[in-house]
Parts: sequence; C-alpha cells; structure tokens
Amino acid sequence: MGPVLTVLRKDLLLAWRNRSGWASAAAFATIAVLTYSFAFDLATGDVRPLLPGVLWTTFLFAGVFAAGQSFQDEVEDGTFDAMLVAPVPATAIFAGKLAANLIALLIIEFAQLLLATILFDVGLFTPELLGIVVIGTVGYVSLTTLLSTMGGHVRGRSVLLPVLVLPLLVPLLIGAVRATGAALGLESGTAPWMLLLGVFTLWSTLASVLLFPVAVER
Amino acid sequence: MNLSSLVGTVLARADQWRWTVMPPLVGVAMMAMIVGALVAAPREIVQGEVQRLMYIHVPSAVIMYAAFFVTAFSSVMLLWKRDMRWDAIARASATVGVFLCAMVLLSGAIWGKPTWGVYWSWDARLTSTLILFLIYTAYLLARSVAGPLDEQAARYAAVFAIIGVVDIPIIQMSVRWWRTLHPQPTVFTPDPALPNEMLLVLLIGFVAVFALAAWLIMLQSDTERASQRVTALRAEVDHREMA
Repeated sequence: MGPVLTVLRKDLLLAWRNRSGWASAAAFATIAVLTYSFAFDLATGDVRPLLPGVLWTTFLFAGVFAAGQSFQDEVEDGTFDAMLVAPVPATAIFAGKLAANLIALLIIEFAQLLLATILFDVGLFTPELLGIVVIGTVGYVSLTTLLSTMGGHVRGRSVLLPVLVLPLLVPLLIGAVRATGAALGLESGTAPWMLLLGVFTLWSTLASVLLFPVAVER
Repeated sequence: MNLSSLVGTVLARADQWRWTVMPPLVGVAMMAMIVGALVAAPREIVQGEVQRLMYIHVPSAVIMYAAFFVTAFSSVMLLWKRDMRWDAIARASATVGVFLCAMVLLSGAIWGKPTWGVYWSWDARLTSTLILFLIYTAYLLARSVAGPLDEQAARYAAVFAIIGVVDIPIIQMSVRWWRTLHPQPTVFTPDPALPNEMLLVLLIGFVAVFALAAWLIMLQSDTERASQRVTALRAEVDHREMA
C-alpha cells in the first residue's frame, strides 16, 4: 500500500498546485451541462427524461479530457519515465494514479449533480444514484487512465484519446444511462443495468491493472 | 514443435504462395461466389432478389471477426516476443477487418432498406458492428500516428487491440439487451433452415471471402514489413551520413 499512497498523494498534490488542468475539466463539464439544459429546453417541454444522457455524456467527455490533461505535465517534464524507474511494482503506480484521478473526477461530478439538481429540478442525491455514479466512474477512469498514461510520446494524443476510449465505453454508457434513468423513476428496475455496470467496471479495472505493466515496459 | 514456430512455418509457406497459388484461388472463388449468388441460387420468395446480398454479407461478417482475432493474437505475440513482424501482421489484419466491416455495414444498409424499411436502426447487431468498426479504425489511427518502427507505439496499439477484442462480448451483451430486429440464427444450428442450394452458395461465399481476406492480409503485411525495412534503411543512411 505504501507506494500506492505515495503516488496518490503526489498526484493529488500536483493536481492542487497546478489547478488549471482539473479546473478546465470542471469548467468544461459545467458548460456542457448548461448548454445541454439550455438547448434541450428550447426543443422540448420536459427535459427530465434526457437527464441521464446529459449527465453521462458530460461525465465521459470531462473524464477523457481530464485524463489527457492530468498526464500532459508528466510527459512534458519526463517525470513519468522517472517514476517507472523507481523500484516499486508498476501496478502500484497505476493504482495510485487511478485513485488520484478518481477522487478529482468524483469532486467534479458531484458539482455537476448539484448543478443538474438546480437546473432540472430533480433530487439527484439519493444513495442509489450516488452508488451508480461511483461505480460507473471507477469503470471509465481505469480505462482512461490506462490509455492516457500509455500514449505519452504519440503525436496528437489529446485528440486521439476520446476516439480510442469512447467506443470501448459504450457498454458502460448504456448501463449507466439506463440505471440512472431507473433510479430517477423514468423506467422500472435498476437491477439488470446495475449488473451490466458492475460487470463492465470489474472487467475494465482488471484489464487495466493487468495490462498497465505490460504497456509501460521499456 | 512449439506454437510460434508452427505459425511461423505456416506463414512462410503461405508467403511463398502469395503470387502463385493465391491469385487464381481468390479469382476462381470470387467468380464462383458471384455466379452462385446472382445466377445459381434460387430467388427468395419473401424478400426477392435483394436477399442475394446474404452470400457476401454473412461471410464478410464472420471473416471480419476472424481478422480481428488475428489482430488480437498478433498483438499478444508482439507484446510477448517483441518482434515487429507481429506488428505488421496485426496492422494488416486490422486493415482487412475494417474493410470487411465496412462491407458488412454497407451491404446491411442496402439489404435493410427494402426488408425493414430503413437503412439503419440501433438494433443490437448493427450497433455492435458499428462499435467494432470504430474501435479498429481507432486502432489503425493510433498505430499510424507513429513510425513503422516505433516499438512503443506498436505496444500501445497492441494493448488497445487486446482490450478491444475482450470488449467485444461485453458490447454484444450490452446491446443485446435492447430489442433486436435481426433474424434469429438460421445457419449455425444443427438443422439449418436454409435450403441446400442456398447453403452451398453460402459455403462458396465463405471460401471466397476467406481466401480474399487471407490474401489481402498477406499482401498488406508484406507492405508493412517493407515500410519497416525502408524506415530502418533510411535511419541507417542518416546515421552513416552523420558519421
């Protein structure tokens, strides 16, 4: 656990000191929710059925954007290569980075839930919905973290990352949107969608943890 | 004989055939498929002539999966053996797989319009095929932004290809939970519901598309190898000029 916590503390400290990356992800998410709310309000009277889709597309885009941003500095300063030389398992480094990204993203997402509560006039802070958000976030953060840390030297990485990640995340998007809809009472039964979400999250976390050491091997 | 040397032997043998056995084989099989599909096969009563698309649509779909599995297998071998020849094969089969996937989507849309009344719907199989197309075009994109000999980019793309192939069953499971327009399997059952003439033409279609895909993969991996060698030679020339 030692190295994991060290990497986690280092990443959170860096994220706090160099706030611009995460702040722009948060600003991006906010502007996305506002734009959706405004645009859909023009088109339809009842925007509530659209809320799950609004939330999850915002979360995914903000997550991919933030993952690329947070890793940019590491690549530019060459600190990532230095960290890989350290005599700790690569899995521990990955777990630390994953946890740091997860914490930062959850903070952004809760802010968006608060904003959506105001804009859409729906109670979003139920235990069930918070559970869906946390599980879904773990599921996509593991893949975005893996794919963003790997392509350090690849040109045009920031544009490439969403193109790579989003098709892989389609099952998560389906599960999360439907589960959120069910939790809001828009359709009945969260159980099958929670199962899908859980299976995907388990799979993506396992695959990322197993493949990270192979991927960063020099 | 271990697995990798066996695969190596088979590939080397197939490589010798790429300008002798393969062109006539592919040509004859493709001709047989076209004649079979357009002339020999009986006209389907309900759907009419458009059903003849099946003889290219179904084999393309199945062989497309095979090509993506070759990509995944070669990616595992690349990560394991660190031999860039596997990268050439992985790229080549992904290219052919994406080409077949486009064929499947296109022929499906043309078939769907008169049969279902729409070119496209978010039906389970259509959706998962489209996602496959997106994943493997992303793979080709990710691999092509770096040079042919960039080992790190090759490893990156290989990891992505492996994640992609493991994602396939989950994607299919997730989209199947929607209502689907697609016909239930009629071919891969112990007692196929297709008439014998149709089944025979379909079989020829499988052979033809398989031969075409295998040949294209051979030629394309040759090309990838050649561009790896050119890059290496260019680097060597630069190096000597510097010295």
